[in-house]
Amino acid sequence: MRRESLIPTVGIAWTLLYAALVVWLYATAPRTLEELRTQASTAVGTYAVDEARFQSARELFRREQYRAAREEWLRADPARRDARTQFYIAYAFYREGWGRVYSDDALFRQGVEAVDLALELSPDGALTVDDPDLRIHSAAELKAELEQGTETTWGDFNPAKIFRERK
Amino acid sequence: MRKRRETAGHETRARGDAGRGEAGRAAARRATNRLLTAHLLLPTIFLTVALAGGVRVEGETRALVFVAPPLVALVLAVLLLALFARGRLVALPRWLSHDHAPLANVSHALTLVALFFASAQAFNSVLPGAGLFRWLFSFFFLWTLWQNLFAATDARRTLRSVVALFGTAFVLTHLLLANLYAPEAGWLRRVAGALVEGATQGSLGGQTTVAPATGYLSFFTLALYVVGLVLLPSAPGGVADGAPRASGVVEDYRRLSAGERDEARAEILRAELRRLEAVSLKASEESETSRDDDG
Repeated sequence: MRRESLIPTVGIAWTLLYAALVVWLYATAPRTLEELRTQASTAVGTYAVDEARFQSARELFRREQYRAAREEWLRADPARRDARTQFYIAYAFYREGWGRVYSDDALFRQGVEAVDLALELSPDGALTVDDPDLRIHSAAELKAELEQGTETTWGDFNPAKIFRERK
Repeated sequence: MRKRRETAGHETRARGDAGRGEAGRAAARRATNRLLTAHLLLPTIFLTVALAGGVRVEGETRALVFVAPPLVALVLAVLLLALFARGRLVALPRWLSHDHAPLANVSHALTLVALFFASAQAFNSVLPGAGLFRWLFSFFFLWTLWQNLFAATDARRTLRSVVALFGTAFVLTHLLLANLYAPEAGWLRRVAGALVEGATQGSLGGQTTVAPATGYLSFFTLALYVVGLVLLPSAPGGVADGAPRASGVVEDYRRLSAGERDEARAEILRAELRRLEAVSLKASEESETSRDDDG
């Protein structure tokens, strides 16, 4: 290839590549270099959840330290791209917000957001987690539970409600 | 004698060939460098400006914020490009021409698009974040560019005026305003800020506090933008520049006053006379040398 056609070809390819990088940076708007690294790895398909952090979050979850568990899960999945992690985060919101007399609406609503994200990230829109420590295994069921908690119905005034169990 | 003359002739021819070869290589290097500048270096510079021009560093969290060019910056960039075209800093018909190969035209179009976004982001980097100051700056930019569009100008003057415009805006935004609204500012500056706010019933404010790194970033962006403009040829290639450049000079000449035209003609005559004298001197020296050789 002659120099007169090689240099413009390379120039066009390079310009388009660089322009795409600029557009991508403005579209994703990473706030820190760490976030930039995470988003870059997501874009190139090498992103993976930090398994060690994930397991340590599960340990915290078992010890009923739900807030700490959520923080740890967020660190394990900083790009919020993993459906399973988002399911656990939603579950932590459910467990923390559940009350025998009444539920914490704010936490339940955050739980709904997390479980929605989990469903969105699932390839077929359905997610099942086989964990013997959990009593709800499907994301759809968890979502229904969380949504019920935020609704006000006549059943909320039923005194027998205090005998129900947390899932 | 005859042998000596033949040897001298061979040496002269060899020197001539070597000179021509060296000149050819230099011309090839020049052509390659021009191509690299037009197709690789300039898009890289302008895209870097487009990237860095919208980056801010938040004052409190030190987080990066990417600010896309606002609509007013795009309008200002259009006006600036029109000014470039008018001042022949960019001769658009020669950047995008039927004479170029399709690939070259595509590459030139991309460079011009990159220049447009770099210009928009250069404005973005010196526009205050919010409040009435932002509108004041936008208005003054618009006013200055609009005025320049109708003034007699050339590439050099256009470049100088653009540097002055961005330099002034940089000083006002990143030195004056940033200091006035800095959270760690001294009491005197706080009082000055409060007075400005009080006098204008708070309508001037709304400035977001940014870290000093934003100023450095803006300085780097503007410096790179100016470097890009300096490197930007009026037309890519530069080989076929002669005729259009001459027509540009004639156009400039027509804009001069009668007195200035007289001066210009006299200067051209003087330069031509000097050139002719030099040519005749060289010719006489050469004839003397050949006579000596014959002797």
